[in-house]
Amino acid sequence: MAAAVQIETVNITINDIEIAVPKGELIVEAVKRLGLEIPIFCYHPRMKPVGMCRMCIVEVGFKQPDGTVRKMPKPQAACTLPASEGMAVYTDTEMVHRDRKGVLEFLLINHPLDCPICDRGGECPLQNNTLFYGPSTSRYVELKRHAPKAFPLSKYVTLDLERCIQCGRCVRFTEEISGDSELAFRFRGANMQPSTFELRDFESKFSGNVIEICPVGALTSAKYRFRARPWDLETKPAVCTVCSNGCNVWFDYRVGKMVRINGRTNEGVNEEWTCDKGKFGHEFYNSEDRLLTPLVREGDQLVPTDWARVYSDVIRAFANGGDKVAALGGAANSNEDVFMLNRLMTGIFGTKNLDHRFERNLVTGVGEKLGVSEVQSTIASLEDAPSMLVFGTSLADELPIVFLRVRKAWFKNGAKVVVAHHAPTDADSFAEVILRYKEGTEAAVASGLLSLLVSAGKAQVPAATADAIKPFTPEHVEQLSGVPAEKLRVAAELLEGAPIITTRSMYNQASGVDALEALAGLAMVTNGKFNCYSLQANAEGATLLGTKEGMHTHQILNAAAAGELKALWLVNVDPFALYPDRELVQQALENVEFLAVQGTVASEAMHYASVVLPQCAPAEMDGTYTNVERRVQRMRPVLKPKGSTKPGWNIFSEIAVRLRPATPFFNPGEVMAEIAKENPAFEGATYDKLPAEGFVIR
Amino acid sequence: MSELTQIGSINERPRIPTRDEVELNFSDKAITELEALKTHYPELKACILPTLWIAQREYGGFLSGEAIAEVAYRLQRSYAEVEGVATFYSMYNTAHKPGKHKIELCTCLSCHLCGTYRLRDFLKEKLGIGHGETTADGLFTVEEVECLDACDRAPVIQVGDTYHGPVDEGYLSKLIDDLRANPESTVVKMADEMVKVHIRASER
Ligand code: SF4
Ligand code: FES
Ligand code: FES
Repeated sequence: MAAAVQIETVNITINDIEIAVPKGELIVEAVKRLGLEIPIFCYHPRMKPVGMCRMCIVEVGFKQPDGTVRKMPKPQAACTLPASEGMAVYTDTEMVHRDRKGVLEFLLINHPLDCPICDRGGECPLQNNTLFYGPSTSRYVELKRHAPKAFPLSKYVTLDLERCIQCGRCVRFTEEISGDSELAFRFRGANMQPSTFELRDFESKFSGNVIEICPVGALTSAKYRFRARPWDLETKPAVCTVCSNGCNVWFDYRVGKMVRINGRTNEGVNEEWTCDKGKFGHEFYNSEDRLLTPLVREGDQLVPTDWARVYSDVIRAFANGGDKVAALGGAANSNEDVFMLNRLMTGIFGTKNLDHRFERNLVTGVGEKLGVSEVQSTIASLEDAPSMLVFGTSLADELPIVFLRVRKAWFKNGAKVVVAHHAPTDADSFAEVILRYKEGTEAAVASGLLSLLVSAGKAQVPAATADAIKPFTPEHVEQLSGVPAEKLRVAAELLEGAPIITTRSMYNQASGVDALEALAGLAMVTNGKFNCYSLQANAEGATLLGTKEGMHTHQILNAAAAGELKALWLVNVDPFALYPDRELVQQALENVEFLAVQGTVASEAMHYASVVLPQCAPAEMDGTYTNVERRVQRMRPVLKPKGSTKPGWNIFSEIAVRLRPATPFFNPGEVMAEIAKENPAFEGATYDKLPAEGFVIR
Repeated sequence: MSELTQIGSINERPRIPTRDEVELNFSDKAITELEALKTHYPELKACILPTLWIAQREYGGFLSGEAIAEVAYRLQRSYAEVEGVATFYSMYNTAHKPGKHKIELCTCLSCHLCGTYRLRDFLKEKLGIGHGETTADGLFTVEEVECLDACDRAPVIQVGDTYHGPVDEGYLSKLIDDLRANPESTVVKMADEMVKVHIRASER
């Protein structure tokens, strides 16, 4: 990474106050150093300036040798104006005020002014700027332009064309940030409209963001439209638990119900973006299928009961179970949950049969085998990498926020990205080299890359490995995988010391483990960074806090199917959805004597349950989650737990206390303190000391 | 952000259409022209306008969705961007398929004063169509346009790449008969002329 560099500064004055700012800094940013704010619409700090709306105009002059300031005859747009030596900026003059009024009057000429029924009313930059800087009345008496009021751009985004002020933020987002370039301006003048090609569906994995960055109510959320006024909503910070990225979000709710999810800034993780899966993936909070009371099986029915009954059933089935009992899942639970689950299973029930992984290959993890960490790069660090390898994953689907970072590294810094996958992916559009291999030949490609680097003398490997990879010459790899030898060579050139990004879905591929080994080796010997990112909200936490000594998922399911297990506990997981072999899952669940199903919403596995333990949803409890880069982030409770649901840690601890009386933990903070004591990775991580943006385990 | 980033940096590269999404209809001649065109500019983005002219010619005077998609594919730009460019300019026919001949009536001040609307009514009577409409036989389209920059010849009309003016009913009537007899589409010819402006004879 770049060492601290000397930044060249220039001396400018802002409203006659002298200040030194980095050379070339945009004036719209520079004024923030003095706590001032220039009203804007089209400018967005994360996108290139375009100067389309003229809201940000300021008066600008230059210091003359005699000390006077000579002003330019016309105002300038602060969002496209770089600071230069001797510049004098005025944000508060008569002329600026008059011109801002003029700009707003123009913007409002065709605007329908339907704020009373607009979703954006109350949090609308146009409303705010008009209130602060605009005219109080309009002189425009002619007919306004009319356009469709609710055009469905996609199933998530509804366009109200009349409200659009044509700032281009949405268009630029799809071009610069998400990269799908789905939106563009069609037609011109008053008829200009941001829309998709031929008005087709707006197919983006990040479309929800344009709703948030639209400075008016033109792009609205199809899910939130007309459901609330912003001032009726309560909002609290939360962490998205839909996938392992751990995006920071604002959780907006009203009378105990989730209403919408908005992006919250965390520069280390999601900057300010969200993906559609997360932004629109919290509907389950209000789902009819939520489990609200404990259930127990009576004949072919699950009937409501109380916790005491469920606890005693579980205890009867699991206590002293030793090798005959097991638990699966936990990767979507908080660190506190998995820690207490582990304690209960190993410490009280006396079994090490505990696993949260559902991939096809569950041999010892590659990292463990080679003695390296499987997570070596933070999300933010990817931005500065000059080159990287994305291997065997459709990143935009599996890890959308990591995808945005990789794309940013290319878009902003020109990073050279090598994309290797058996099918087309979104990352192809900016890839320097695409290695399209036949499915199942991952290992050959990875070994080929390693072999090239070794034979070029860029890396040393032990003799045994050298022999093993020797046959993988580019030509041989081409035969096996269909990747042209030349491309492989070009790719290998780029990969010395580069971060390697792949995901745990590689463990689902037949040759995935070998490929991962080659990749980890490649990173190791070239001083690169190996990352096999996990995919569930707290899979990293479950790995760090779990045990690997007992049976793994395959063995557990096989044992259950063979009738060798007395009791099985499914912790917040539906194996039907995750495990590749449905048959086996069905047999296992049928043949196990006692099946405890713990979860938030009804699942298929529930049909086989002996008891059902309703667990509250993530935002209904306090807890920490370890994301894909091993960043531990705390989510405080946003909503009250529904019905008689309980947090996972509480369930485990209440059962433990019944078997072995001890002072229980009263809150997850105490559990975390215990984790910090026991697990070196979490050392010092108490709730009081946890920074707002989380901390990254190294 | 200490460095000023400007739109159109070298890294700008949108998601491009894939081969299986588009149907390619450019003739060999068009492909040769396009290849020549690409050598004129440092970036493919700069080729969008002339390539749209090629497409307008290749697709019989109308830039349909398929035509735009083909341009996007051939220039490795996004669909939306190319459509945005095409719909911005009124000389590209993107809204609907024009007839074989497009009669454009200037309705700006000088022409207006000199009787454009009389001509419009005459056309309405003679062809049965008004602004933005096409005759049922697909021969004529009438469009009212802004100043054609030939006010000295007001009232002016444009048909294909030719200006006519000053025009009266008699002239118009004769012109229509001539056009009926003309087997070639002036709309396509106009597109071809525009392509020729961009591509040297040696390159064709
Ligand atoms: S829809 Fe919103 S973001 Fe897009 S151009 Fe219009 S005002 Fe700007
Ligand atoms: S914010 Fe500067 S022109 Fe729009
Ligand atoms: S007004 Fe018709 S050409 Fe100018």
